[in-house]
Amino acid sequence: MKNMSPRKRNPVECLPLATGSQEKARGDDLASVYDRRLKTYDPAGDNVRKFLDLLAVRINRSLAVSLVACVHCGMCVDSCHYALTHPGDSTMTPVYKADQIRRIFKRRLDWTGRIVPWWVHAATPASDEDLNRLKNIVFGTCSACRRCTLNCPMGVDTASLVRFTRGLLTELGIVPEGVFNVSRDEWETGNQMAVTPLDYLGTLQWMRDDLRTDPKLSGLEIPVVRPDCDFMYTINPREIKFDPRSIAQAAKIFHLAGERWTLPSAGWDQTNFGMYSGDDRLGGYIARNLYEAAVRLRAGRIVISECGHGFRSTRWEGYTWAEYDQNIPSESVVRTLKRYLKEQRIRVDKSKNALPVTFHDSCNIARSGGMTEEPRWVLNEVCSNFQEMHPNRTENYCCTGGGGLLSMAEYRPLRLESAAVKARQLEATGAKLVCTMCHNCVDGLNDVVKHYKLDMKIVQVLELVENALVY
Amino acid sequence: MSPLLQFIEDKVQIAALFFMVAVYTIRIFWLFKFRAVRERSLPEGKARAGVAYSLSNVVLPWAMESTRKNPWFYIQFVVFHLGVTAAISATFIIPYAPHWLASSDIVAAFQAVMGAALAVGIWRFIRRLHSPALRAISTPDDFAAILLMIAYFALGILAVPNRAERGEGPMIAFFILTAFFLIYVPFSKISHYLYYPFGRVFLGRTLGRRGVFPVRKSASGRRAEGDQGR
Repeated sequence: MKNMSPRKRNPVECLPLATGSQEKARGDDLASVYDRRLKTYDPAGDNVRKFLDLLAVRINRSLAVSLVACVHCGMCVDSCHYALTHPGDSTMTPVYKADQIRRIFKRRLDWTGRIVPWWVHAATPASDEDLNRLKNIVFGTCSACRRCTLNCPMGVDTASLVRFTRGLLTELGIVPEGVFNVSRDEWETGNQMAVTPLDYLGTLQWMRDDLRTDPKLSGLEIPVVRPDCDFMYTINPREIKFDPRSIAQAAKIFHLAGERWTLPSAGWDQTNFGMYSGDDRLGGYIARNLYEAAVRLRAGRIVISECGHGFRSTRWEGYTWAEYDQNIPSESVVRTLKRYLKEQRIRVDKSKNALPVTFHDSCNIARSGGMTEEPRWVLNEVCSNFQEMHPNRTENYCCTGGGGLLSMAEYRPLRLESAAVKARQLEATGAKLVCTMCHNCVDGLNDVVKHYKLDMKIVQVLELVENALVY
Repeated sequence: MSPLLQFIEDKVQIAALFFMVAVYTIRIFWLFKFRAVRERSLPEGKARAGVAYSLSNVVLPWAMESTRKNPWFYIQFVVFHLGVTAAISATFIIPYAPHWLASSDIVAAFQAVMGAALAVGIWRFIRRLHSPALRAISTPDDFAAILLMIAYFALGILAVPNRAERGEGPMIAFFILTAFFLIYVPFSKISHYLYYPFGRVFLGRTLGRRGVFPVRKSASGRRAEGDQGR
């Protein structure tokens, strides 16, 4: 960046921009590339100018306040798992990461930074190389867990600044390859794992048939496109692709509770990579698909399967991205389970879950979604040995796979280093089962458990409830 | 009291204060030129409760882990800002209500508060120099802010006795620095107090609607009872 003295850089900041997938997408003449919904990198484009113009157009009031309000007090440092695990590396602190966009904002839009930039370290990116460095910082060194935001005395929302910066870079195609690939799949197929309608319907049928082998469940259905139901159930494509057991568990519980429910044929993906890439248009497209499916089916509510960012994007952010006023209530499936238990629509025996179990709060559900008590209430109903993790609820640490980091292989070594905090936290519980209500956290925590050789198994709430069922 | 000191205490301060108010007014208009984002989801919690919680966190050091685990830092914050309040108060009391400083006990109290703030200021300056994490993000504006405040507290300690007959030098310097602050602060990070309410209100409103704020520590499950759409 201009006007900046050279400083020792973290190796992650220097990772190159990989564009193999982008070139292939252009070569394949994908519709999303052709009509410029999915942006690819143009080395001959005036990317710095475009970045600055986008910054000026897209910035909103709360982001502007977060950019001007930071006093560089350093209170956020000890809240970040990257900073805690790299105490000698000042580039790992939340304030350093936020300052990378802050200095550009100051140079471009703020008074003092425009007149005397050196006084406030305001700077403009000099080249695409600087934009690539910025990409590595906002995608590779932050899981957008919002822990620093909740620990900032000024209310600076660093996680939102990181997402905002990601969004600007996504518009220029300056993104990690994994982010490009998943965004491509979402734009092209309407779900983030490119699940085909055949795969989707075939897996549902397979789960239904599998469940029906139990004579007590012979009448069980996994209904698709049934109108006027109590709720429309929405899932994570990972459930179709890698772990359909969770669909079976949900279907079994809904059946035993006597629920009238349905899955949609389209708009079933409650995950949303627009949240991670910062692309509000993608976010709005995916969210709108889902909301409109619920309206088409005249569903009484939308129930979101266990997924952190899926819950946050479907329940909260998606309406804003899609510019869609919420007209149907929505809730996490964990809240649905709680209702069944409270109303005694299902019966459970907690002695069936005797192993010590602890609960990991998904950042997007606890810190950004406001749901911390329901999963604990349910776990206390279905487990005989629940042990709290410390810190917990809104102060819990990220599984370290958040922010879309699981899709960015190049940042994996740094991610696993920063996971030492989580590993110590898990180990201290003495639990054998770590329960979470997020598919992303399942994969993130599995990585932590494997890397740090912890004797633990990662499970989800549905799994434990289903295991405790008495019928 | 010399006409120079009288002029600096009164006319210069008022002019500088008007300048500051004018710049801050423009600044707030500038901030509000950025578009506001309308939340379109149905609320789960109360935005007002979130805002109230968010704004009150300044007096709830146990609410955030960062202050709960660093009580010494929080005490420094309180002492430093009490010193700021005392110094600013002195700029009004000396010219317009000098009898309030007639008692030597009150003068001593002012000096003690500003002395403590001065010590905190020096500590903060050393911390900024010493900590690699802070050094990496510190700008000339950050260093200037803390150095100016240290100088301000030192001059404030000398000025509050309000004894012009013993020498006007410290008082003139104190009021010149005050006027400088009034003109400079809107362009520096010291104006963070202007942004503080906006930052806390925006965050509190968003997280209040979602039921994140006020943060609940107990497993009472009360929030779960407010099941939207049930």
